[in-house]
Amino acid sequence: MAAAPDSVLEAFERSIIPLLDDAYTLARHLLRDEHDAQDVVQEAYLRAWRHYGGFRGGDARAWLLTIVRNCCYTWRRSARPEQVAVAYDDEAHGADEDEQLAADARVLAESDRAELELALAQLPREFREVIVLREIERLSYQEIGRVMGTPIGTVMSRLARARKRLQQALGIGAREAS
Amino acid sequence: MSCAVTRDHLSAYVDSELPPEQASEVARHLVSCAECASEYEGILETVSRLQEGLVPYRAPDVLRARIRAAIREEQAGSEPVARRSRYVPWRAIAAAVVIAVVSSGVTFVATGRRAAEPAVAEEVLASHIRSLMPAHLTDVSSNNQHNVKPWFNGRLDFSPSVPRLDDAGFPLLGGRVDYVHGRPVAVVVYGRRQHVINVFSWPAPGRDVGLSQESRNGYTLMHWRRDGVEHWVVSDVAVPDLRQFVALLEQGDAASGRTTPETAR
Ligand SMILES: [Zn+2]
Repeated sequence: MAAAPDSVLEAFERSIIPLLDDAYTLARHLLRDEHDAQDVVQEAYLRAWRHYGGFRGGDARAWLLTIVRNCCYTWRRSARPEQVAVAYDDEAHGADEDEQLAADARVLAESDRAELELALAQLPREFREVIVLREIERLSYQEIGRVMGTPIGTVMSRLARARKRLQQALGIGAREAS
Repeated sequence: MSCAVTRDHLSAYVDSELPPEQASEVARHLVSCAECASEYEGILETVSRLQEGLVPYRAPDVLRARIRAAIREEQAGSEPVARRSRYVPWRAIAAAVVIAVVSSGVTFVATGRRAAEPAVAEEVLASHIRSLMPAHLTDVSSNNQHNVKPWFNGRLDFSPSVPRLDDAGFPLLGGRVDYVHGRPVAVVVYGRRQHVINVFSWPAPGRDVGLSQESRNGYTLMHWRRDGVEHWVVSDVAVPDLRQFVALLEQGDAASGRTTPETAR
């Protein structure tokens, strides 16, 4: 592609690069693997850069997350279809990783993030996705609908069911769901 | 509104995503129905636990650097791109960070020999921290040492060695020119998983100085001087990994033919 003017690169730096944590968070939850997430986010950013000329303002976050989500789905299907969802690759986790895990564990112990993430990781991907977009990214139903490519009614019912599942998993409200 | 219909709408009601008429119907029902009200409490508690407990992940610095490198390489074909200093607002923020680092009362833990020049160590560390901020890691972003090494020509009065260490798990990310101790210095940047390693070098006549190591604010600094070149390595990778990196760096250095400044010969 022809080199974009510097002003475009500058605008991309200002509006899209700062959303990297959001992009990475969605990919981490959808793929449940940090290395996969990094590869996919890099691919998504390159795709975003190539299509940035066609982005006409609006919510940059929803726009970027749509690309990230699509990359997660297609990447998973084409690149590693046989991959087990929560496989743990011993070889890929050296001393550095152990140290990282230990550091993470300390942080996790301080909050109940570990319990929440475990509960979340057990849900089907459609449920994880809507929970991340709503409870972490705080998108509106309309934006979530755009990212997932579904009507708002679907967003509403899917989010309600995902929350119900998590409520039960976390033992909130002793009552049986009717 | 019936109990069944109310239950279906509670989740959206919590998010204030219901049309006003429906929202007020739900509200009226909740006042009069204890069971639905308790259901509502449960959803409210679930949502608040999720929103407080599930926090965003922080993307690794290396990923940020990789993305910038990929975009810049695509932008310029295979030519490395020199970043012009057009991120003016960041300069002011960078200065603030330097002040914060210097004034934070760093503890100085020297292992082995005497700690090499505390003032320089401080500047090197400040440069490392500054480099982790947006758009500051590299002036030339490339994984190819044949792009990075020539880039320093004409910008500095000497040429740093840029060994390729990808196979050992230390991918080259690029390079930049920075200022330490009142002079321009070469910084070659490597990655280690999610961490960044900055390698500083500049000509410094004088006797060789052996490797010394210190840690400050969670970062490890290693220093040595050989054949008239001052070397500093800064990172937050695990110390054994950093030692391995320094050993590889020295090997690669020797293999590729050391480039020494004219003043040292
Ligand atoms: Zn009721």
